[in-house]
Amino acid sequence: MPETSGAGVRPTNAVPDTAPPVHTDTTAKWFLISSISYFFIVGIIALTIAAKFCWPELLGTVPYLTYGRLRPLHVNGMLFGWLLACDMGLTYYIVPRLCGVKLFSEKLGVATAVLWNVIVLGAVVSLMAGWNHGFEYAELPFPLNLLVVVAWVMYAINIFGTIIKRKYEQMYVSIWYFMGCILWTTFVYPTGNFATDFATGVNQANLNWMYVHNAVGLIFTPIGLGIAYYFLPKSAETPLHSHRLSMIGFWALAFVYVWTGAHHMLHGPISQWLQTIAITFSVMLLIPVWAVVYNFFATMKGQWQQLRENVPLKFIMSGIVFYLLTCFQGPMHSLRSVNAIVSKTDWIPGHAHMALLGCFSFFAIAGTYYIVPRMWNTKLHSEALANWSFWFFMIGGLGFFVTLWLGGFWQGWQWNNPSIPFIDTVKALQPVWLVRFFSGILMFCGIVSFAYNIMATVIGRREYAQ
Amino acid sequence: MLSRADNSATFAVGAALAFFFLGGLLTTVVPPMVDKSWSRPAPGLKKYTPEQLKGRAIYVREGCWYCHTQQTRTLVADTKRSGWKGVDSPISTPDEFVYDTPHMFGTKRTGPDLSRVGGKYDTQWHKTHFRNPRDLVPGSIMPPFPWIADKPEELGALIAYIQTLGRAKDWRPDQDYEK
Repeated sequence: MPETSGAGVRPTNAVPDTAPPVHTDTTAKWFLISSISYFFIVGIIALTIAAKFCWPELLGTVPYLTYGRLRPLHVNGMLFGWLLACDMGLTYYIVPRLCGVKLFSEKLGVATAVLWNVIVLGAVVSLMAGWNHGFEYAELPFPLNLLVVVAWVMYAINIFGTIIKRKYEQMYVSIWYFMGCILWTTFVYPTGNFATDFATGVNQANLNWMYVHNAVGLIFTPIGLGIAYYFLPKSAETPLHSHRLSMIGFWALAFVYVWTGAHHMLHGPISQWLQTIAITFSVMLLIPVWAVVYNFFATMKGQWQQLRENVPLKFIMSGIVFYLLTCFQGPMHSLRSVNAIVSKTDWIPGHAHMALLGCFSFFAIAGTYYIVPRMWNTKLHSEALANWSFWFFMIGGLGFFVTLWLGGFWQGWQWNNPSIPFIDTVKALQPVWLVRFFSGILMFCGIVSFAYNIMATVIGRREYAQ
Repeated sequence: MLSRADNSATFAVGAALAFFFLGGLLTTVVPPMVDKSWSRPAPGLKKYTPEQLKGRAIYVREGCWYCHTQQTRTLVADTKRSGWKGVDSPISTPDEFVYDTPHMFGTKRTGPDLSRVGGKYDTQWHKTHFRNPRDLVPGSIMPPFPWIADKPEELGALIAYIQTLGRAKDWRPDQDYEK
C-alpha cells in the first residue's frame, strides 16, 4: 500500500494546525484542574504509605488510616483521580483540534467532569471506610462502578460525536488510540468490576488479571500514547517520522495486549497452557513497543538540541525511554525463570511506578504544561520552576525505581533460599524502603512545583495577558 | 487494511473490537470450559461457615491481601516456606479455591504467604499478634489492628477464617493442627 493520501487531505505525517473554530475548552479546564488537585492530595497519601514501611506504628491505631485502606486509595486516586482524569482532559483539548471542529458538547463535558469528581470523592470515603470490593484496581464499591460506566458513556458520546463530524477525513494516529481506549475500556472495565462477581476462585482471578493487565494496556497505554503522539510533534514543531509505523504499532497493540492477563499468575494455581499463552503474547508486546519508540526517536532526529530548553519535550522523551524500559521489563518478567525471582517482590512496584508515573504521568504532565498557557491565553508562570519539577520527578522517580529493582531482586533471591527465615528478608529491605521514602519526597516536590506552577499560571494570568 | 482504518472510523472501530474479542474470549471464557479443575471443588474442601465468611470480609476490608499472597507456587522455595515443622507444603491447585470470592491470591508478598497458614498458630497467638505484631515477631512491619483485637466477635471471625486456609489438603502428619 502506498503511503499517500487523497486530494484535500493534509500530509499524513503532520499534526494538523490549530483549526479555525474557536475552542472554549471549558471541559478540558475542569478536568485538568481537578486532576492536578488529586495528584497533590493523593501524593500525600502515597508518602504516608511509603512511611508506614519504615515506621509501621505510624497512624497505626486509626482504622481509617491503616495501610490496607490507604493503599487502594493511593492506587485508585492516582489512576482514576489524577492520571485518567488528566488524560481525559487532554483529549477534550486534542480531539476537536485534530478534527477541525468544536467539541460535540461542552455542557455534556462539564457534566462528565462534575460526575468524575463525585466518583473520586466517593472513592475516598468508601475506601477509607473499608468498603472494598476486593479486587486490585477494581476496589470501588458497586454504586461507584456504575457511575464510572455512566461517566465513560458520556465521555464516549462526546469524543465520538466530535470525530463523526470531523472536517478532515483522514484520522491522525492519536485519534485511533483514543477511539481504541474508549472502546476497549467499555469492555475491560465491566469485566474487572462486574463480571468477576459471577465467577469464583481461579476463574474469577483470571478475569481479574485480564482487567488489571488491560487497565494498563488498553486504557492507560492507548490514551497515553495518543497524547504523546500529539504533543511530541507539536512541542518539537517537527513532523512525525512515519505514519505507517504508527499504524503498525497501533494494530499490533490491539492484537497482542489482551492475551497476556494470566502472566500475573505464573507458577500459580492456573493451567500451565494458559500461562504459556500469556508468556508468548507478553514477549510479542516488544513489537508494538518498538514501533512506537523507534518512531519517536526518529522524529527527534536533528531536533535533539531542543531538549535543553523545552520542558514538555523533556517529559515526553524521558517518558518514552521509561516506556521502553517498562515494556522491556514486562516481557522479561513473564519468562518463567525471571518470574521465579522477581514475582511478588518489591521489584514489581518499581516496575509499575515506572509505567504509570515515569511514562504515562510524564506524558500527561507534558501535555498539561503545553496546553494550560494556550487554553488560558497566557504564558507559563515560570519556565525555571517547570524545569525544576522535571528534575524532581526524574531524580525522585529514578531513585524509587532503581532502589526497588535492586531491593526486589535481592529479596527474590533470598526467598528462593528457604534456609533464610522470612522475617530476615523483611529486615533486609528496611534500608531500601527508607530510600524509597526519600525518593517519594522528591517526587512529591515535583508534584508541588508542577501544581503550583499551573495554579499560578491560571490565577496570575492577567499579568501576562497580551 | 491499514489505509482503510485510516480513513474510515467504522472500519477502525470494527477491527479494534474484533482483535479485542478474539484474544479476550479465548483467554477468559474458553479456559474454564477446557480446564474443569477450575470449578470442581477439591475432595477436602468445605464451604465457609457464616462466621468464617464474616472473618473473610474483614480480611478483604482491611486489605490484608495487599501484602499476603495465598498461593504456594510450583517453586521448591514456596513449598518449603509454606511448609511447617519439616514437612513441605503441597502446591496450591485451582480446586482449593472454588468457594473463594473475591479471590485472595494476591500479587505482593510484603508479609509471608498464607496459603497454608491454617492450623499453624493457635488462637491466643493470633490475638496477641493482631494487637501488635512486633510483640511476637520483632522486625515485622505489619500494622497493628487494635480495633479488631478489641472486638471479640470480629477477632474470632477473622481467626476462624485464617484457620481454614490451606486445609482442603490434609497435609499435616497426624492431624497436627493448632486450634
